[in-house]
Amino acid sequence: MDWTNWLKQFGRYVVVMLLQVFLFDQLQFFGVCHPYVYVLCLLMLPITMRPSTDMLIGAGVGLMMDIFCNSLGIHMASCVLIMYIRRYLLGLLVNDRDRLNEQISLHAIGFIAMLQYVVILVFIHHLTVFALAAWSWRHFGFVLLETFVSSTLTVLVILGYNALRNK
Amino acid sequence: MRTLLKILQRYSNFLVFLALEVAAFMLITRNNAYPRSSILSTANSVVAWQHEQVSAISDYFHLHEENEELIKENIDLRNQLSALEATLTGDSIRYMDAKVVQMTTNRLHNYLTINRGRKDGIVRGQGVRNADGAVGIIRTVGRNYSIVIPLIHTQTNLSCRIAKNGYISTLQWDGKDCHYAQLADVASHVEVNSGDTIITSGLGTVFPEGIPVGIVESCSIKEGDSYYTIRVRLEVDYKRIRFVEVVQNGHQQEREELEDGLD
Repeated sequence: MDWTNWLKQFGRYVVVMLLQVFLFDQLQFFGVCHPYVYVLCLLMLPITMRPSTDMLIGAGVGLMMDIFCNSLGIHMASCVLIMYIRRYLLGLLVNDRDRLNEQISLHAIGFIAMLQYVVILVFIHHLTVFALAAWSWRHFGFVLLETFVSSTLTVLVILGYNALRNK
Repeated sequence: MRTLLKILQRYSNFLVFLALEVAAFMLITRNNAYPRSSILSTANSVVAWQHEQVSAISDYFHLHEENEELIKENIDLRNQLSALEATLTGDSIRYMDAKVVQMTTNRLHNYLTINRGRKDGIVRGQGVRNADGAVGIIRTVGRNYSIVIPLIHTQTNLSCRIAKNGYISTLQWDGKDCHYAQLADVASHVEVNSGDTIITSGLGTVFPEGIPVGIVESCSIKEGDSYYTIRVRLEVDYKRIRFVEVVQNGHQQEREELEDGLD
């Protein structure tokens, strides 16, 4: 990845993070809607880097979010997890390996693969965050509801972003 | 040794993953017990700034509800206070909150309309005040609304006291400036200076004693005159008035009947 691409990735991260803390963190829909749209930056990161770099970026981004949420470690754990999983997942979803050397986009991997990729990872990320925050099995029903509502919104935002970018 | 290195290399990704997750879980378990680091939490000044911005924005949207709540609380507190006073003095006074719907300030006969009426127990002759001081007197009562004659009305004659010596006089308005009224009937022997506080006298049933009315702005006496000319700066800013409280004196009817019986 050359430095202009790094700069682009970072610029997108800053914008998405601002949207996250000023807009999406403020939603109050019966207390079950906490979309973590910032994972967009992680999911859209090109997969050409070494896996450990990927996970370190995930840890950093997660830690930053934790600082804003006062939930030290929770987002970090979830982000590292999805960054670890995502290359295996992409390997399963996309048969044509060469495609993966480009950016991850609708054009490169197709709508179905993109949908599966985003839905699965966002769901795992949100479930981990909410489950770790609840820290007990007693609220599991609520955690599932929260995960379902929040990840639906996050997935819509991420797919919308990709649809717009494709034009 | 070589095989160990090979294994490490082979599983290096998984090991990095494991290390990062362990670090994250250490943070979670330590931080859940009691947050240690102020940099890694919302105590961090950048994050605190962000939260402040957000709450400033959302405060703005909740201003209306907040206002209503404060008014309710204010009325509750005032009612509690007057209940306490009632046990001491035997008066029974309750307060009813009201919103000013309409108001004039630039005429000789000004009036204001409030959103409380007969169904809320409003009766002609009740006093109206706000947090600053006395506002006026109820004149006309409808079912849902009432009209208040404010102190800035040329027919106002409000019985007042000079707070420091208890001297009783009458507040009148000359129709010029809605921030100033005049105090009549203060004889030349009375000691009065600018800066003195004017309060309601408690005579009559309109207001209890001691509600602020204004502050003496200037006082002068003409040669050969036996009464002061006193200019009073009113406590209430009629240009900005929005919420008021109606003073409901439980003994009003009884007192008025008694006093009428004297004629």
